[in-house]
Amino acid sequence: MSVALKRIKESRSTLQEAVAKYPDVPGLIILKIDVQRRGVHYTQRALDAVDPAVHQIRTNALFGSRDGEFTPRPESLLLRDGTSIVVDSTPVEKNPYLVDFVDGRFALTDGEELLEFVDLWEKPKYYDLETSSGTPMANLVTARPQRFNILGSSFCHFVVGDKQCRYCDIGKNYKQLRQSTGIPARANPREVAEIVREGLKETGRFTTFCITGGSVLKGVDLFDQEVEWYIELLQAIGENFETKKFPSQLIASAFNERQLRRLYDETGLMSYTSDIEVLNEEKFNWICPGKAESVGYREWKRRLFKAVEIFGRGNVATGIVGGVELARPFGFESEAEALRSTLEEAETFAAAGVPVLSTVWLPRPGSLFSDQQNPSLDYYVQLFSGLHQLRASYGLTIDFDDYRRCGNHADTDLSRIL
Amino acid sequence: MGIQLSEELILLFNDAGTFKALATSDGDRIPDVVAGGIFRISDEGNIIYLEHLETSRTNHNLVSAIWFERQVSIAVLGRNGENYQIKGRPVKVHITGDLFRKYYMESRALLGDVDLSGVWVIEPTEVIDESLQRRQAREEQQRPFFRHLDRLAKPQN
Repeated sequence: MSVALKRIKESRSTLQEAVAKYPDVPGLIILKIDVQRRGVHYTQRALDAVDPAVHQIRTNALFGSRDGEFTPRPESLLLRDGTSIVVDSTPVEKNPYLVDFVDGRFALTDGEELLEFVDLWEKPKYYDLETSSGTPMANLVTARPQRFNILGSSFCHFVVGDKQCRYCDIGKNYKQLRQSTGIPARANPREVAEIVREGLKETGRFTTFCITGGSVLKGVDLFDQEVEWYIELLQAIGENFETKKFPSQLIASAFNERQLRRLYDETGLMSYTSDIEVLNEEKFNWICPGKAESVGYREWKRRLFKAVEIFGRGNVATGIVGGVELARPFGFESEAEALRSTLEEAETFAAAGVPVLSTVWLPRPGSLFSDQQNPSLDYYVQLFSGLHQLRASYGLTIDFDDYRRCGNHADTDLSRIL
Repeated sequence: MGIQLSEELILLFNDAGTFKALATSDGDRIPDVVAGGIFRISDEGNIIYLEHLETSRTNHNLVSAIWFERQVSIAVLGRNGENYQIKGRPVKVHITGDLFRKYYMESRALLGDVDLSGVWVIEPTEVIDESLQRRQAREEQQRPFFRHLDRLAKPQN
């Protein structure tokens, strides 16, 4: 038996064991977590069945893929319970799950076992159109099943001077995207408004916006230029609506109270997220040197708490890259210690009305942590369950970043029944 | 394992005068019944249930049912006294895509300014004829002790 086959067998039993070990966690969500953890590889049979007229193909993105290439692959998957699996193409030698085409349907498989039939995300109709200035709309505003995704700056200023977060490949991805597609670093707000207007014609498709991008440090106050850009963008988008406020999420730097107040008062923005990434000051300082030097862990946290006063409880969140707290050499030495510490700190956020949501750490090839390994499935099941339980305990909802609108956080998938 | 609904039951189901109610249960096995929702039969013979509210108890229970493989039940009462119960299991929910958008628009055409949370697909697993006459005949044949003697007695002057 080859080494590759042996590893596949070991991984499969881990999934089955986890489903048996955590009966209160839905098997579909455990599957999602493991698929995100290990990634997917599309078989040739599956790729042949992809219909670019129907299915959404990956275009512009803030982060690169796990195969380090910009290849036309399906954007992501949907499970039968409506859960999205936001996942990208992974080299087959890294032991990913397979997406195959079986009996006329796409299917997630592992080794010889068919685990679930899945749907590919469907392409929004505006993806086939160009803006009035001739830019392909899909290059400027991407989509999730119910969400417009808009990139502010696809460049992060922390990359300058090697201060980028160590798990992040935004710098490499930025260069790759510019070279291969010519997509601008920043979309023109007028063009974005035009695309949104077109997208809204697709009745029953979209429920929200997610606007995000790399940190922009420039301005009189730190991040002033970033804030100015987001205000201009949100105002342009808002022209499409009768109401001042419209369902929307901004994932951005940790802004000060004046900047947050401007965003709330001058735009239709309804929720604010600023990712603290790691819930431990010492690890944060090591893993996110740019964020640590420019704002600092305690101030980042304080600004999030202040944002609740402006946007309201249930409308502010922070994200972490779950598992990166175990990175070598300065991360936690055991999963048990990392889990205990992370959930304890997450509770201080929840108590202040700020739910913590997590992604699965993917050691991407363009990041400084590219040669590392993410933690076990057990770790993630307990982490995501713990974050969900904190929301339940503190009566916090996460509607703007849930299974429908985002789909990238197993903890918010669990919270769909709160 | 799913079963095929009879043509008679599908006709009854699609009759606008037929009353339908969906029963679900939560993790603590507390039941919840809602009547008057919009149901359809899909081309594959599954039951389609349109859930308009993300936060409804029914929706949460349907999510729990698909996660933890629990069954749900649908009561079907026809205008001529037909009375069936269909047990089934939720096998899929459409929250996006062509089918979702079709029912989103249909819901709004029928009900006005409403939203749609999901298009639930329920695979029938059992059909029970609940009309009293048929149930009683069946029970009397299978469990003959469950009868009052006065029903069997000779008429007295």
